[in-house]
Amino acid sequence: MPRHREEDDDGDEDYDGLELEEEEEEDEGGSRGGGGSRQKRGRSSFFDDYAEEDSQEEEDDEDDEDYGSRRGGKGAKRKKFSAARFVDDIADQVDDDDEEEDDGDGEDGFIVDNGTDLPDERVDRRRYHDRRGFDENDDEDVDDLERRIQERFYRPQEDYDEEATDVEQQALLPSVRDPKLWMVKCAIGREREVAVCLMQKYIDRGSDLQIRSVVALDHLKNFIYVEADKEAHVKEAIKGMRNIYANQKILLVPIREMTDVLSVESKAIDLSRDTWVRMKIGTYKGDLAKVVDVDNVRQRVTVKLIPRIDLQALASKLDGREVAKKKAFVPPPRFMNIDEARELHIRVERRRDPMTGDYFENIGGMLFKDGFMYKTVSLKSIIAQNVTPTFDELEKFNKPSESGESDFGGLSTLFANRKKGHFMKGDAVIVIKGDLKNLKGWVEKVDEETVLIRSGLKGLPDPLAVNEKELCKYFEPGNHVKVVSGTHEGATGMVVKVDQHVLILLSDTTKEHVRVFADHVVESSEVTTGVTKIGQFELHDLVLLDNLSFGVTIRLENEAFQVLKGNPDRPEVALVKLREIKCKLDRKISVQDRYKNVITVGDDARIIEGPSKGKQGPVRHIYKGVLFIYDRHHLEHAGFICAKCTSCVVVGGSRSGANRNGGDSLSRFSNFKAPAPVPPSPRRFQRGGGGMGYNARGRGRGGRGGRDDSLLGTTVKIRLGPFKGYRGPVVEVKGDSVRVELEMKIVTVDRNAISDNVAVTTPSRDTSRYSMGSETPMHPSRTPLHPYMTPMRDSGATPIHDGMRTPMRDRAWNPYTPMSPPRDNWEEGNPGSWGTSPNYQPGSPPSRAYEAPTPGSGWASTPGGSYSDAGTPRDSGSAYANAPSPYLPSTPGQPMTPSSASYLPGTPGGQPMTPGTGLDVMSPVIGGDAEAWFMPDILVEIHKAGEDSDVGVIRDVSDGTCKVSLGSSGEGDTIMALPSELEIVPPRKNDRVKIVGGQYRGSIGKLIGIDGSDGIVKIEDNLDVKILDLAILAKFVQP
Amino acid sequence: MFFHIVLERNMQLHPRFFGRNLRENLVSKLMKDVEGTCSGRHGFVVAITGIESVGKGLIRDGTAFVTFPVKYQCVVFRPFKGEILEAVVTLVNKMGFFAEAGPVQIFVSKHLIPDDMEFQAGDMPNYTTSDGSVKIQKECEVRLKIIGTRVDATEIFCVGTIKDDFLGVINDPAAAA
Repeated sequence: MPRHREEDDDGDEDYDGLELEEEEEEDEGGSRGGGGSRQKRGRSSFFDDYAEEDSQEEEDDEDDEDYGSRRGGKGAKRKKFSAARFVDDIADQVDDDDEEEDDGDGEDGFIVDNGTDLPDERVDRRRYHDRRGFDENDDEDVDDLERRIQERFYRPQEDYDEEATDVEQQALLPSVRDPKLWMVKCAIGREREVAVCLMQKYIDRGSDLQIRSVVALDHLKNFIYVEADKEAHVKEAIKGMRNIYANQKILLVPIREMTDVLSVESKAIDLSRDTWVRMKIGTYKGDLAKVVDVDNVRQRVTVKLIPRIDLQALASKLDGREVAKKKAFVPPPRFMNIDEARELHIRVERRRDPMTGDYFENIGGMLFKDGFMYKTVSLKSIIAQNVTPTFDELEKFNKPSESGESDFGGLSTLFANRKKGHFMKGDAVIVIKGDLKNLKGWVEKVDEETVLIRSGLKGLPDPLAVNEKELCKYFEPGNHVKVVSGTHEGATGMVVKVDQHVLILLSDTTKEHVRVFADHVVESSEVTTGVTKIGQFELHDLVLLDNLSFGVTIRLENEAFQVLKGNPDRPEVALVKLREIKCKLDRKISVQDRYKNVITVGDDARIIEGPSKGKQGPVRHIYKGVLFIYDRHHLEHAGFICAKCTSCVVVGGSRSGANRNGGDSLSRFSNFKAPAPVPPSPRRFQRGGGGMGYNARGRGRGGRGGRDDSLLGTTVKIRLGPFKGYRGPVVEVKGDSVRVELEMKIVTVDRNAISDNVAVTTPSRDTSRYSMGSETPMHPSRTPLHPYMTPMRDSGATPIHDGMRTPMRDRAWNPYTPMSPPRDNWEEGNPGSWGTSPNYQPGSPPSRAYEAPTPGSGWASTPGGSYSDAGTPRDSGSAYANAPSPYLPSTPGQPMTPSSASYLPGTPGGQPMTPGTGLDVMSPVIGGDAEAWFMPDILVEIHKAGEDSDVGVIRDVSDGTCKVSLGSSGEGDTIMALPSELEIVPPRKNDRVKIVGGQYRGSIGKLIGIDGSDGIVKIEDNLDVKILDLAILAKFVQP
Repeated sequence: MFFHIVLERNMQLHPRFFGRNLRENLVSKLMKDVEGTCSGRHGFVVAITGIESVGKGLIRDGTAFVTFPVKYQCVVFRPFKGEILEAVVTLVNKMGFFAEAGPVQIFVSKHLIPDDMEFQAGDMPNYTTSDGSVKIQKECEVRLKIIGTRVDATEIFCVGTIKDDFLGVINDPAAAA
């Protein structure tokens, strides 16, 4: 029996050792031939296993009753449990070699534990176990040894493939029976030292110290962890340590948090110098910053960013003055100008940083260098992942230092964010790292991380395998490319310059330079505008902003628009976030130009004064008397120019006359009034002229409830049936049928099968048999032609086109306009005139036409488009909406040729002064709703659109406008302002106030106190004290 | 580069032009239609130099228009990458300048202007060398090299460079005056 027992013992113990080893390796062996009992224990009993290891340590204390008692009766119990419960075995074993284990564990474990690493500790334990195993088994028989060796070293291959499962991981968690972790406070910065001291102490004192390990964590200042079973042990161990304060409380780390103490942050951010990061919180939220220094221990980074500092506010703050709190106001990023700060009497200290030796300007505790602000922040307050700096940002950063290095910082970040499938077969690439740097080639094949490239160079293997990270796309000047990611995503352009990995593109649409990373670009022949829409706002929309200013969106950036503000004095561009845009302004309004001509959206206008004098183009938006004119030649601000309506003149007549008459404006004023009673209705004239078109048209379209014969004479288009698409004038209306005169025959169609003509009619139409004839066939051709023409006129055309066309257009399409002599010559070249105009001047059109066009001119009058226009003269009105305006009042005073005169009455556009239009003109945005509470002699803040706000004193209020003297005491210039632009400056305590509302309106008093939203006012006249709403109190300024 | 080639086009002619001058009408219309147009394949049609043949006209049903296939000789102009062109500066701005060589518009970015030339804003924006000896401004004639072309349906747009030997201003009427 003893022998047997011994064997058993050995076996078990060995087993134990192996088990531990096995567990530590984390590849488990259910498959391993460890005997049935083991198999049975399975994973779940691991816990015991682990516990047992701990318990053997616990055993050392020799004051564990549990084990003590068990030890007593181990002989009998053991048989019973040996298979199922490991703990007993271990208990035994611990008994056997108590001493030795103590030593081993203590020393080894201790040393390694200092290294903060759990795995190390484990390895060490294993070592200890191994060694113990051998010590133990000196006198074992060979078979046993062999078996054990087998067990130890023989591993079925598949074991390696297994990963520790969650369950296993769970089993490793500390339990109540494990030694505890104690947090001990020590001197800051001495954590490691303390740990090493304790280790030394342990080595010297040996088993006297009953602690297991000491952990000093890099990121935890001021504390170390000591692993021990009892607080007393810890106290004992740290007694007399220099850097540990003896009277400090020792804190127990709860079991749950024990793992957290030692677990390694899995997603450790690899922050290094020059990495781009973004700030997460505070004033700088979202701002790009560059890492200057990383303090891993304190978990802090020093970043450099562009300061957002309001120097004024800072100055007053430093002076101890009260700073008016402007909520939600974030100063724009601006480089710190030290001189400027000094001018504001801000104390600037120049200090040398003891660590780096650099000099910093210190202002109120903030450090500045080269205009940048250096800020030390917590790691948690920055975003380091997926930071892709835009070019604007990078440029800003580069400005003061002018160094190209930062691009590299950006580049490394970029590479990390590369999408999958970044390279494609056929891409031109360049090697940017390693021996082959600057080697160019073409991608042959992409194989996950490696890219096979064909370089075509002699002496190099073809294809060549290169790591993806070492490659960058390569472009040459002249390539036409498309941007596929980044801020400019979607834009296309031609590569103008290649600067390392940065391309400069000439955007197709804006003709502006765009800087992009080569990585963000693919070669493409496509021409696109890029993104033109965010949310409901599109590019070139007129938008109202938060602060009631307005502007045209001229460029799209990431979640933001660049807005050209409606400031006629100087172009002002603001970057506006989507949420700062209040709404889109899409009102159809018209204003009057300098000569009181009506300008509507779409008219051509020329600016005759102001900074943009001489520019000309179609009006795209009108708001508050400010025009946004689009001039193709103007390359800034996407071609938009902002001008006051009074500094512009309409060129070529207003659409509102020539074109709208039939369509828009007619129907518009028919909205105001019944169509019939408009006395000088355009169609009345028309009637006399023999054209019944207008009359009928007016009824047909704008007129509601028109009589049946209202269709008579209208040119209609047939929508359905065999004659679908045909057009012609209605010759008869009979019940549900109308008779439409097509080119040659008159057919009968269902009444529902026709649609009103959309086009504007020229008077000549009716009289010219020819034109009618040609109308119908022309239509099909018209449709495709239009898209063709529109780009020509509006945007597609490059300056060259305009250069040649602009004068042309006036001449060609205003044949009737009395103009300078050359025009007459041109008339022949004008297709419109030689095509159909019945009152055409004598002379053989063909021959003249023949001689007229130079190549340029022929082209200029829109190739292809010209002829068809000829056939459909009435279309010219709508197609070239703004161009033709012979009939327009915009050229008053000019001599009329007979032909034009004869048309004048017939043109509805000739009545810009019809009541309807008159109303329209007046449609005021800024109504005369002067707020009654503005009174003279009060201090107000003036917010003129597009200008900085200013304070002033109201001097006079009349007709809804206020006369305001600028300056806080009204000593400055006097300007006129609308109430909507004014805001009362709230008075402060002890100010003299004027009551602008309520029953005391007009009284003057002294604000003796403020209570919430009420002010306590002592009225001067009667010395009454009243409590009034602050809103009706304004600061009074003695005139 | 200019080419003299033969092209064909189907011309539609309105019946009103039929008569003695039909051919003249046809040709004049052809000129009007074609000259100055641009196709990606052939470039700009600069001028029609002659009519090769006018085919038989075909009356279109329903419209009475007649379609004539016309073969004509014409001079076309198509810019190529790498081609050296002489052009007239039309617009100068801070990003570079635009020049025209006939119907072709060429943009020369400031990056493709020699580095010693600096942009001078003002009434007459220009690029000038530091010593002021060379000045690129509106109306200047420059020789440039095309580095890239973009062909649209209706135009050809080029990007050029003057950052190379023998490129740059060749005549400045403003300076001469």
